[in-house]
Amino acid sequence: MEQRLGSTWRMTVNEKKFIETALLSDLRTDGRGPFDYRNLTIQFGSEDGSSEVQLGQTRVMGFVTSQLVQPYRDRPNEGSLAIFTEFSPMADPSFEVGRPGEFAVELGRIVDRGLRESRAVDTESLCVVAGKWVWSIRIDLHILDNGGNLVDAANIAALAALLTFRRPECTLGGEDGQEVTIHPPDVREPLPLIVHHLPIAVTFAFIGNESTVVIDPSHFEEAVMGGKLTATLNTNGDVCAIQKAGGEGVMQSVIMQCLRIASVKAADITDKIKKAVGLDGGVVEVAHERYESGLWTLILKNGGVWLLILLTNWSSKEAFCSFTLLHLLEKLRNKTFVLVGKAAWKGVNNLSKEMEKPKMKTEDRSINQDDMEIEIHSSKKDGSSLGDNKPKAFTGGPSSWDPYSKGVNVDELKASLASRAVVTPKEEMDTSPPLKPATDESLKDADPAPSSQETAGTTEHTNEAKTLKDAVKPKHKRKKKKNLHHLFETLLETRLSRCCNVNLLCSLELAIVACN
Amino acid sequence: MDLEREGGRGANQLRPIDCSRNVLSRAHGSASCSHGETRVLAAVYGPKAGTKKNENPEKACIEVIWKPKSGQIGKPEKEFQMILKRTLQNICLLNVHPNTTTSIIVQVVHDDGSLLPCAIHAACAALIDAGIPLKYLAVSISCCLTESGKILLDPNKLEEQKMKAFVCLAFPSSVHSVLTEGSINGIITSLTHGVMAGYTFLTLILDEYFQCVEQGRAAITPLSNILKKKLQSQSAE
Repeated sequence: MEQRLGSTWRMTVNEKKFIETALLSDLRTDGRGPFDYRNLTIQFGSEDGSSEVQLGQTRVMGFVTSQLVQPYRDRPNEGSLAIFTEFSPMADPSFEVGRPGEFAVELGRIVDRGLRESRAVDTESLCVVAGKWVWSIRIDLHILDNGGNLVDAANIAALAALLTFRRPECTLGGEDGQEVTIHPPDVREPLPLIVHHLPIAVTFAFIGNESTVVIDPSHFEEAVMGGKLTATLNTNGDVCAIQKAGGEGVMQSVIMQCLRIASVKAADITDKIKKAVGLDGGVVEVAHERYESGLWTLILKNGGVWLLILLTNWSSKEAFCSFTLLHLLEKLRNKTFVLVGKAAWKGVNNLSKEMEKPKMKTEDRSINQDDMEIEIHSSKKDGSSLGDNKPKAFTGGPSSWDPYSKGVNVDELKASLASRAVVTPKEEMDTSPPLKPATDESLKDADPAPSSQETAGTTEHTNEAKTLKDAVKPKHKRKKKKNLHHLFETLLETRLSRCCNVNLLCSLELAIVACN
Repeated sequence: MDLEREGGRGANQLRPIDCSRNVLSRAHGSASCSHGETRVLAAVYGPKAGTKKNENPEKACIEVIWKPKSGQIGKPEKEFQMILKRTLQNICLLNVHPNTTTSIIVQVVHDDGSLLPCAIHAACAALIDAGIPLKYLAVSISCCLTESGKILLDPNKLEEQKMKAFVCLAFPSSVHSVLTEGSINGIITSLTHGVMAGYTFLTLILDEYFQCVEQGRAAITPLSNILKKKLQSQSAE
């Protein structure tokens, strides 16, 4: 008895000819141009590390889970990353249950290569006890609907899930420091993974005899195509992987053209992913900003929370660093933001500052301890959701791949980067001091701040220049504060340090204004 | 302690239910159902020609594939497959298309308690979307029993784990039916976890179990109305 008659689907000759002929006039059956991607929507589930990607008709879900395991013998200091692809029978009548077919294996290998060999996910930070316990990250990709171009969609789903995944924090204890205790999420805040860059897969299909190239083939086009090329790139200009398994022979010039187009598309998709991950944490708007005689004032709004940020620059002749905050990165390039705490920043910058015209709305409410407290309360939800943006700080920005550009105090940066993995002050895992928001200090210093903008500048100048390390205070705050402040600190360091190549000394102060 | 449910729900209060059809493009019928945070996606392919070896060729065959969120398919998944298959075999009109196979693929998106009822609803909605002829809809509910004997409907994951026992029930639900009254009020499926004792040790009457059934049945009517409304509003488009 035939069981799977419903699974055979053949392309008719008419359909095939139609697609090929239409492509000769640069027309595709769904109205796209040859180098247009379909609509991409990225959604997240209620849990950390679950994503659902829809690329046109194609739907893929990604789930990330972690487990403590023994490391491989030859890599005792590194965690591991494993990708499992499930070609669910619901996606296509020809997909069968049971062992993965060759397409499933190929897809898994392409996504795996993009993530593992390009070292997109930092596996060394997954080590808990060298040689004994490491975190093993498992990515499950479920293909729900096969509308064509599963590789790209699966890749995006994997990246989105990795960016929103949080692994539980664990501490070492016991007599010899070998006993590992995993803390549940309500006891200690779970940590994001360190993702250095986002490798984006872009697929091209070669259809017809004239080597017509189309990007993001739909499943009709896939049935007609003669060959396929998948290029995995990131926004830093690295080619992480190229896969062209058989099919029609294609000229070198065509492949180079494909790579060029792919890099543009990769930047596009990276933006979308970051926006989707960032949007999850809430929208931050710039309400007002103003620059006046060496003092930057900025008011940001996130939901019910208003942030008044002051930045004074000692050497006003120097250029301010380009600073990006959450998903406003692109829009607010070349503007300086003040982030958490009071810190003197030794950094580098090569972009010129921009003056701001809009009138600044002064907040009448004076800041006092209570207001700070209230603000933190109301920002709790935002703070915790903003916390999701922490991984954004780790993803490759538009700047260079190497975060340690010259001019930055490398040790300081290393310390802060390393300590970012350590969230609570009780941790003694790293040698570096943990990141702490200077809430105490800023609370007190913020008091006189809003009452008079000008005097704030002078108060600032009385402070001595300190390094970032000195400025950060022990973090013994509630989780909610930690999230908001930690986020800003993290962003402060990564962003400032990234755009470095000149020595610049300035002190930053954060004043938080409550607004219900 | 049991009176304080998360989100301030009452003992008989269900979580918000959402059901949408035609979510996938390739499948013949598809539906997504969510009970609060629990989300299940179901797709139907069929009827396809031929039945499996050991199945009766004079009737249609229902095949269920249960996909967990992550991990391999193990015994719990096979159990769910079997339960869902038997439940759906009851509600489908198997004599309309003999010697055919209808495959239902269920994908768990998120499990926050009462997974099986959610899956049953999703599967029914997907069957409707595919146009498979059904006798009636299956409406399902899960109830859990606390230590003190109190019954809570529609528990979430934490509640399920804390409680003494919980049961998942599926009832038929239909506005009109050609069948006799008796079979309409019956229980299609009942799956229990944990021990439900009787109050009197000597007689060993399953008091608690029947209480759960009664409470569940009482909640079924509004639930089935909600589901029908959701499914109807989509078919009108």
